[in-house]
This record gives sequence, C-alpha cells and structure tokens, in this order.
Amino acid sequence: MFDYILRRLLFLVPVFFAVSFVIFMIIHLVPGDPIDHILQVGSTDQQRAAMTARYGLDKPLIAQYGIWLIKLAQGDLGEAIILRQPVTDLIVQNLPHSLTLGGLALIFSTVVGIAAGAIAALNRDGWTDRSVMTVILFGSTVPSFWLGLLMILLFAVQLEWFPVSGARSASALVLPVLTVGLGGVALIARVTRAAMLDIARRDFVMMLHAKGLSPWRIHLRHVLRHAMLPVVTILGLRIGWILGGAVTIEYVFARPGLGSLLITSLGQRDYPVVQGCLLMLAIAVMLGTLVGDIVQAAMDPRIREGAR
Amino acid sequence: MRKSVKAALLSASLLVSVPAIVQAQEAIFAVTAREVGAPSYNPITATKLNSANSLIFDRLLLQDADQSFHGLLATSWESSPDGMQWTFKLKPGVKFHNGEPFNARTIEWWVPKFAGTENAYTVAAIERVEVVDDLTVRFHMKTPDPNLLFNLASSFMGVPAPKAYDALGDKFGVAEAIGTGPFKMEKFTVGQQTVLVRNDDYTWGSDLSQNKGPAKIKRLTVREIPEDSTAFLELKTGGVDLVYTVPTDFLPRLQAEKNIKVMTIPGTEIVYMPINTSVAPFTDIKVREAVALAINQKAILDTLYGGAGAAAHTFLISSLEEAKVDPKYQISYNPDRARALLDEAGWKVGANGIRAKDGQPLQVKLWTQNGTEFKRITEVVQAQLKAIGVQADITVFDASTINAQYRKKTEHQLAVRSYSWTNADIIDWFFSAKRLGYPNVSMLDDPQAEALNDTAMNKSKTWDERVRNFRAYHEYVLSRFAFAPIYEPANSFAFNTKKLTLPATIRGTRLTSQSIIDTDAAK
Repeated sequence: MFDYILRRLLFLVPVFFAVSFVIFMIIHLVPGDPIDHILQVGSTDQQRAAMTARYGLDKPLIAQYGIWLIKLAQGDLGEAIILRQPVTDLIVQNLPHSLTLGGLALIFSTVVGIAAGAIAALNRDGWTDRSVMTVILFGSTVPSFWLGLLMILLFAVQLEWFPVSGARSASALVLPVLTVGLGGVALIARVTRAAMLDIARRDFVMMLHAKGLSPWRIHLRHVLRHAMLPVVTILGLRIGWILGGAVTIEYVFARPGLGSLLITSLGQRDYPVVQGCLLMLAIAVMLGTLVGDIVQAAMDPRIREGAR
Repeated sequence: MRKSVKAALLSASLLVSVPAIVQAQEAIFAVTAREVGAPSYNPITATKLNSANSLIFDRLLLQDADQSFHGLLATSWESSPDGMQWTFKLKPGVKFHNGEPFNARTIEWWVPKFAGTENAYTVAAIERVEVVDDLTVRFHMKTPDPNLLFNLASSFMGVPAPKAYDALGDKFGVAEAIGTGPFKMEKFTVGQQTVLVRNDDYTWGSDLSQNKGPAKIKRLTVREIPEDSTAFLELKTGGVDLVYTVPTDFLPRLQAEKNIKVMTIPGTEIVYMPINTSVAPFTDIKVREAVALAINQKAILDTLYGGAGAAAHTFLISSLEEAKVDPKYQISYNPDRARALLDEAGWKVGANGIRAKDGQPLQVKLWTQNGTEFKRITEVVQAQLKAIGVQADITVFDASTINAQYRKKTEHQLAVRSYSWTNADIIDWFFSAKRLGYPNVSMLDDPQAEALNDTAMNKSKTWDERVRNFRAYHEYVLSRFAFAPIYEPANSFAFNTKKLTLPATIRGTRLTSQSIIDTDAAK
C-alpha cells in the first residue's frame, strides 16, 4: 500500500508542473492587463511603462514563469497587483470559507446522492425511481447561478427562513451549501443507482436471496457496500469540482472565498492572485483524485495489485 | 410548519455563532459591483476606494453637485493673481481618531507623501508647502494649477493621521485607518465588510450638512455585495438598510416597494459611442456626423430608463461649466440630416435597406462590454443605425479584454462606452493624441485639437480661464464628430424608510459623509 501511495505521489510532480505552466500561460495570453485598473485619469505612457516594469510584466513570458516558479518553490505566491497584499495571505484568508462551503456541500451531495440512488435502485423503473431521478436531474441541470437566486427568492425572501447573503452566521451557509450540493447530487445518485443495479445481478446476491435474507437487508448491507467503489472514485474527482463550483455561488451570496477572490481578480487581470487561486483549485483536484484512488485501493486490493 | 422549522434553524445557528442582530442607532449599508473589492483605506496609495472612505477621512474641501467647493478641513482659501501660491486657512479644534491634532504641520507632512504613488498627479503642481502658522498653510506651485481645488476635493485626498500612518506602513488602511472623519474604522475585511463606529468627538462638519457632528448613527456596517440582484433582495428583506448605487433597470421594482425610497442625485457619468476616425468609413467626417446624428438620445432615455437621467448632447456631464457649449455644437438626433449626409458621401440605400458604395455594404463593428445595461443600449444603437442604413455587428467583450483590443487601433470602428468623472480634463484623457488606441478610442489625432488641448491643460492660470479654454477644446472635439453622446445616468440610491431617515436634499456629487451625518437610524 505504501508503494502504491508513493508511486501516485511521484506521478503528481510532473502533473503539477504541467498544470502550473498552463495556468500561467492562459491568464497571461488572455487580452487585457492589470495596469489599466491601476492607472488614473491623466497618467502618461511613461507612468504606464514604469508600472509595467515594477510588476515585472515587461519581461518575456517564459522569464516571468520561471520567476514565479522559483518563488513558488520558496512558498511565495507573490504579491497581488491590485489588492497589494501577499497572495498567500489572501488565500489563507479566503480558503477556509471555500473549504467550509465546499466540504459541507460535498457531504450533502454524498449523503443525499447515495440515499437517492439507493432508493431509486430499490424501486427500479417504478414511479419512485422516475420521480427521484427527475427531481435530481432538474437540480443538476439548472445553472447554479440561477438556482442560487431561486433559492434566495424562495427561502430568504418569501419564507424568510435564511439570510439573503453574507457570511455573518451559520444559517447563511444553508442556501449556498444546498445550491452547490444539489449540483453534485445527480451524478452521485446516478452512479450509485447504476452500481447497485449492476451488483444486484451478481451471483453472490442471488445466493443471499436464496438464503432468505430480506431485499432491504441485502441491498443496504451488501449491495450498497460493493457499489461504493465507483462512488468513491467520483467523490475524489468531485472534491476539486466542489471548490470550483462554488466560485459563482460565493459571488451570488456575497460570501468570502476563493471563488469571489478569483472572479474579482480575473476581471481585473490581477495575475498573481488568479495564478494562486487556480493553483489551489488544481491542487485540490489533484489531491482529491489521489485520496479517491487511495481509498479505492484500500477498499479493493485488486487495484493496488494491478498497479504493480 | 414554517414557524417551527424557522425556530429550529435559528436556534441551531445561535449555537454556533452570534447572528448579526442590528441594535438601535445602527445601520447596514451596501456597496455593490463597482465599489466591491477596495483593497485598503489608504487614501494616499489606493487606486480604488469605496464610499466608506469618506466616512473615515475628511478632505480639505468638498464639491457640491453644482461643482462649487465647500470647506471641510479648510475654512477658506485664496490664490495669488499669478496662480503660483495658494493659501488655506484650516479649521481649528480638529483631531484625528487617535487624538493626534490636525493642523498646518499635518498638511506639510501630507503633500510629499504622494510622491511616487499613482495619486501623485493630484499634488504634482505643488513645489513646496509652507507652514505660515498653526492653522494656515501655503502651497508654492511649480506652475499655476487652476484644477487644484478639484484635486483636493477628490476622494483620494482624505488626510490620514501622520504618526499612525508612518508607524503602520503598509498595514495602514487595512489593520487600521485613522482619519478625522465622523466615523472610526473598527474592522475591515477586504471584499466583505467594514464596521464603523461613531466618532463622538466630531463637531466640524461642512456647510453641506445640517448636523455638524457627531453623526446620529452610532454603528455603521458597510457590506460589499457584488451581485446587484442580491443587494436588491437584501434591501427588500431588511438585510441592509441602504444600497449606495442602484442600477437603473431596478428602479421600477424598488419604487414599487412600500418601505423603500429611491433618491436621485445628478450623475457623474456619460454613456457615449466613440467613432474610430482613423479607419474607413469613418475617415469621412460626413459618415461620422451621420452616425452621430442617428442616435436618438431621448428614445433611449425614455424606453430604457423610464426618463431617469438625461439625454447627453456633449461629452461632459451637464453640471460642468465647460459642458455649456454653443448650442450649434451639441449633437442631437437628426435622422433626416444623417441620411442626407450619407447620400452626399456616396452611400446609397440598397434593396435590403443597408447602404452600399462601390459594391461595399456599409457594415461596421459595434463593440461593447459585458453587462446588462451596456448590452441593452448597444442593441438600441444598432437598431437606430440600421434605420439610416448602417449595418452594425455587435461584439461583447469583458472590460479588460476590450481595452487590449482598442490598443490595436485599427480593429474597432464603433463602441458603446461610459466614463464617470466630474472634470473637463476628461476630454484630454479620451481625445489626446498622446493616448491613441486606449483611452483615445476615437483615434483623434488632429493638430488643432492638440493645440487647444495644450492651451486648456497647461496654459490656464485661473479657473475661469481654464473653463473658457476647455469649452473651446470641447467645442472643437464636438465639431469633429469623434463620438456620439448618448445618455447621462442619474445617480440613484435606495433605502428602507422604516429604518433610516435621510435629509430631504442630498448635497455633494455622491452620497458621502456630508449626508450620512445627517442620517438618522430608527431607534
């Protein structure tokens, strides 16, 4: 198991470099630059040139990338051009909020997704199955931005159950968590349902039926357990998606987090902040996938044997 | 069901954190998209500040909506006849939030602090500061600067406490922000909110306020809500008591709410269509004039904005003296003349209603930036151009990308843009040949315009002379049809009448400290 984990960790190194290169190049090649957001009315070309040089933006792109990598190796993500704070500080301030929202949304979508998928599988092709899958499909296909506003209109404005926006109380987390979480429920439910239906056709399940166990006990204690393997794979991928999916939701609900920081910095082309935020999201996806793979290997020895 | 669930959720939230219960004499304001994300309250180095800045820091002067200047930290000022000296008398008894005294030595310390910052231009013409006595300071100028009063009234001219500023360094404006304003900063979370508490020692409000201080509100939270819909819903549900800026398309919904009042003050913005004078077909002034006259400003004002704001016929906001040009230079809707000009220029109407010349259709690019209002205005402009036989193809860019595209100089033809500025030197910014591409999107490179620019910007010794010179420059730019004026938005804000009582008349160019200290919160 240790060998398996070590191999997976080593594989992440080239992936990290490739991802960092793509992140850096994409934001620098997109038209626009941060200097436009700093210049005041009356600024001269000389002032613009001086500011461009001050932030190292006059150097060749590959040189800028090299400088960024060297600082990254020292744990320095640079200084935000517009916000004028160390990017590390900005991320440290905002990441816990994103992790809280993302983590709770992941738990919500996992619990509800698995439950919905199990209920649907147990009532295959019945009205329960169709109803559950239809509702879930609606929640996952509606754009999250619009879903968030719908949530606010219904639960905050009409019913007055929760605050409209902000992060000043725990109740302010409920609607954003529901909005982000609902987006993930459909995929987990569908994977759970499909996996359970597949496992239910196996010989050992038929044997359990022959032994006289109740269908509920067979499905919940045996089939569901085996169906978790593909679900764990999906969850590993979902970790990064959850953080990324929260980007627009943080904006709609005026919550702090990497998403709000990323959207604002993207509009202003604050390169160091965009690079730092995207790198964090990429690391979340990589680590999430790694955790998913490790848990899967722990659950199924055939996976770690096959990797040798 | 509803009450029990609600009670259960409220109890749960109380267990883990303190909910934001607003006490009497407290208020919550919201700033929206344009003001979200101000990185600090350091008025000397900041390139972006929000409305809370004026509550923490006082300036020497304030500017009213009619562009007149009123003393705040200064009681009077005068300029020598040659414009080379300015003498300011300062208000006695003013203290910073940390007890430091405000006096002439403060100003002597303050002016040089701008050197090397992006705001240095505001005091660039001052050579040195002389302390005449404890409450009198004199600026010795490098060159006459009739614009000095405007610069001193800008939101970046709040005066910070010298000792605290020097001690805190880069942390000033983030960890602490100490001024002489009617409110002290208690806490600031970038991108989220600023908590302000009343400065109980404040007694030096300007004559733009009825109440000279202290403010009536004891505690004020300024929240940052980037999404306009969310801010509107917070106001509707009582989550916030006032929203600083309301988009015009929200006005009908807000006006329909029983407890919400919308107040409007003269705007500081102009929406216009720059015309690229350096590319065909707009190298022909007749074509430029035709597209400019095709814009029906009144129709846009009435149909898109319900009459809120004003039709724009020049490049400047109407409250500026320099905007009062000879009426023959104003650009107003005249489709008959527009069609006649295109006929004269050789563009004949085709079977499909679109004009053509030498086999080439009159098809142009019309750029705009993303945002609901921009897109709406642009679609109407497209339709109005089509009415005179011009096919305009719309492309939408984000704000950063479009500036990079303009810098290519020959890619764009028409665009819908806006600016917000209360000084005539904006004509220099957008039409000087020193800035072709961006911000001179019109690519105006005209020797006579440059000569008039130089006179207006550098050779005016007094304010009146400056007004005359800028008016002449403005009239010339209008005569070249380098742009089409479209709309002058009003500045609207909305508040909850059950929670707040605002003064009947809002003074100043924006809703800032002079009105907030007159504002009462419900007990």
